[in-house]
Amino acid sequence: MSSNKYFKHEGPWSDANDPLMCSDTGDWRTKRPIVDKDKCIFCGFCAIYCPIQVMEMIEESYFSPDLGFCKGCGICAKECPKNAISMMPEGDFKK
Amino acid sequence: MTQKKKDNLTKVMDYLKHEDPFSKGVAFCPGCGLELLIRFIPQVLGNDIVITGTPSCSAPVLLGQNNQTWHKLSYFGTLMTGAAANATGLARYYRKAGIENTVVCFNGDGTAADIGFGNLSGAAERNEPFIYICYDNEGYMNTGIQKSGTTPFGATTTTTPLGSASKGKNLRRMNLALKMAMHKIPYAATATLSDLDDLAKKLLKAKEAKKRGFAFLHVFAPCTTGWGFAPENTIEVCRRAVKTNYFPLWEAVNGKIRMTKTVKKPKPVTTYTELIKKFAHLSEEDLQILQDDVDYEYCMLGGLSVLEGECQLPVSSED
Repeated sequence: MSSNKYFKHEGPWSDANDPLMCSDTGDWRTKRPIVDKDKCIFCGFCAIYCPIQVMEMIEESYFSPDLGFCKGCGICAKECPKNAISMMPEGDFKK
Repeated sequence: MTQKKKDNLTKVMDYLKHEDPFSKGVAFCPGCGLELLIRFIPQVLGNDIVITGTPSCSAPVLLGQNNQTWHKLSYFGTLMTGAAANATGLARYYRKAGIENTVVCFNGDGTAADIGFGNLSGAAERNEPFIYICYDNEGYMNTGIQKSGTTPFGATTTTTPLGSASKGKNLRRMNLALKMAMHKIPYAATATLSDLDDLAKKLLKAKEAKKRGFAFLHVFAPCTTGWGFAPENTIEVCRRAVKTNYFPLWEAVNGKIRMTKTVKKPKPVTTYTELIKKFAHLSEEDLQILQDDVDYEYCMLGGLSVLEGECQLPVSSED
């Protein structure tokens, strides 16, 4: 089970000592999104349309997915207005 | 360079003021429209919302499993027949106890349009102060893709299969949002996931309208598994649904209907159906029936929005 490092503070009715459930949804992925940093114009469409909301701002210059949880649906690549994201088969990256 | 890049950032980001209360890896299908919606709502409305819902695709995540949860919101799971009635109880309790928060009744179209419509209508009639959000994936997706009241004409589901005796659903879909607007509630609107700024505005308006009474949001959320389209097309399906007037975006404040997005040159409905496998078998005549139905609903909506502006009751004299 993956550790959940995303929460900055505790909710009014949650217990911070009791971690939330979190699946390794990165394992489901068959295609991996690869971001071309030079093509990225920082519009943020990939980040708002990502159903899992895993696109992270990197140094306020481009977006990059958290591959631990990205399910590889490809919405980011489809919605990118500059085609800066390409979906590569996951098999190419296996060790 | 960095500042110039920052200017490109979409305005929708400004609406996402709150933390995403969900754990990152949750059990929704890849490309699920519902997942985007349920993560979007608390980021716009704030994390002090109480969600109540029913057995549906959202329930396995919202309700949690065993003794653990996927999120840190408050959730109250209830039966499909009494979703709005339970939300009524919660909203009344919070009002009586003087607690400021927002009760969101989050249901699928099966609960809203079919099984729980009675008490949804009742809650709207009593003008209860909560937000009812119906995510419309046009069927009972969690139990295995059965037909519901909002399943459109011609769509194949497991209860309206494609075969010698049946060619998909042979009935038209109901217009749930319009029905709710006819209750003359403070706020009723339709929204979809391709226009997230529109959805965020409507969520905030619903939160504002909740102080005056019932607010209803009908959100079009496509289902990749049930409809049969590639997961990356989720947003494209929403966009084409709006562009073909298959799912027009409008809002009704106190029953006054106003289009929030008008499409100047609506495309034929085939540009929408060609993406989706559940419409793949439709012949030209069937597509014409679907097109006529879409046109009928849009004309009716357009007529109502004009009527609200122009039609006036005859004024009686003082004496």
